[in-house]
Amino acid sequence: MPRSHALMLQIATGDPRPISKQIVDGVRMKIATAELSPGDQLPSVRGLAQQLTINPNTVAKAYAELTSEGWLESRQGLGLFVATPRQRLSNGERDRRMDEAIQAFVREVAALDYPPERALARLDRALQVLSRKSA
Amino acid sequence: MNNHVIETRALTKRYGAKLALDALDLSIAAGHIHAIVGANGAGKSTLFRILLGFLPPSSGSARILGRDSQQLTPEDRGRIGFVNEEHTLPNWMRVSAVADMQRHQYPRWNQRAYDEVIGHYHVLPEQKIGQLSRGERAGFNLALTLAQGPELLVLDEPTLGLDVVAKRAFLESLMYSSATESCTVIYCSHQMEEIERVAENLIILERGRLAHMSAPEEFCARVTHWVADIPFAGPPPAGVPGLLQVQRIDGLHHYLVLDQDEDFAQFLRGAGARTVQCMPVSLDRAVNGFLAKNHAMPAAA
Repeated sequence: MPRSHALMLQIATGDPRPISKQIVDGVRMKIATAELSPGDQLPSVRGLAQQLTINPNTVAKAYAELTSEGWLESRQGLGLFVATPRQRLSNGERDRRMDEAIQAFVREVAALDYPPERALARLDRALQVLSRKSA
Repeated sequence: MNNHVIETRALTKRYGAKLALDALDLSIAAGHIHAIVGANGAGKSTLFRILLGFLPPSSGSARILGRDSQQLTPEDRGRIGFVNEEHTLPNWMRVSAVADMQRHQYPRWNQRAYDEVIGHYHVLPEQKIGQLSRGERAGFNLALTLAQGPELLVLDEPTLGLDVVAKRAFLESLMYSSATESCTVIYCSHQMEEIERVAENLIILERGRLAHMSAPEEFCARVTHWVADIPFAGPPPAGVPGLLQVQRIDGLHHYLVLDQDEDFAQFLRGAGARTVQCMPVSLDRAVNGFLAKNHAMPAAA
């Protein structure tokens, strides 16, 4: 059984973003969308380089950036893993983004003409995914 | 002990009235994969001929692996691998005979590296070189060169004329071979797609001089593309700071410029632009724009 998680990642040459940046963006997106979960192992530097036909040092650079930003953590002798998320935003920024998300939700619900109490009940159920995750 | 694999000082080569290398100062650090790009006639081939000792310089000096390039011994040459675009090998010989010959030639022959690289290709020992496809010949050539255990590998347009599959096999056998790990690679190519995948350092030669050297993404960040809506003619090209290329498309002015920041927007507005937009460019666009700058162009645009 392979130890590492398959990383379904695409890169493109001819893009204004350098390849290492494309890898950083791609991995962040996969973590944010829960396609990669905390504890998942990433492919080895050499493995991902071969998968994408790029220089292994480019992968190493991307992994180093992701590690220093706290998205990945290395475990001595085992490889790289998706890190348990810690708070990456300041409290103010976190509140601002929460307000934004709520406003967007309210605007959408308004257009649906849905009774607020039913919307709230369904939101409550949907949010249980998060409480299970943190339990 | 310095750790430059290549070091030239005021290296000059003159062919009659034409300067192929113009007091070139170039130092390439050991390790990594370095790409050299330049327009045709930038002096790449002349540089390699001098470095490999095939051609004397007009003046200046060239050192390779710490040795004077004009006094290389057979042992020194054994430490340098060279793969050219033609993959010149004797057509009448069998693959096994060429491999045997090289094995006896080089004391540090690494059979594992040979097997590793040749495994990417369907090449049989009993085949004659003349029967191999261009891609197979390229792979065989690379296998021979890596097996020689070089400290420095110089590749001059190695994938020219190869199809997509052969190109990929070539890049894979180059980048993931254990023999490449311990050697410095100089990769000369016009194909930016390959350079993006392969190179950690980008060296741009222009008219026999060093025009730029840095990581590819740093070079890419120096070039930006601006689109401005300027009624009428726009500023005279000679007055545009950092100008690499200007085009007028559907009434909008497109500028490719070098080393410009937000001040360039001010410049365009000052020249009458009603709207100004800016975007980053790909490596391909950046390098080609840069190389096109000094190309002979008709005066009036």
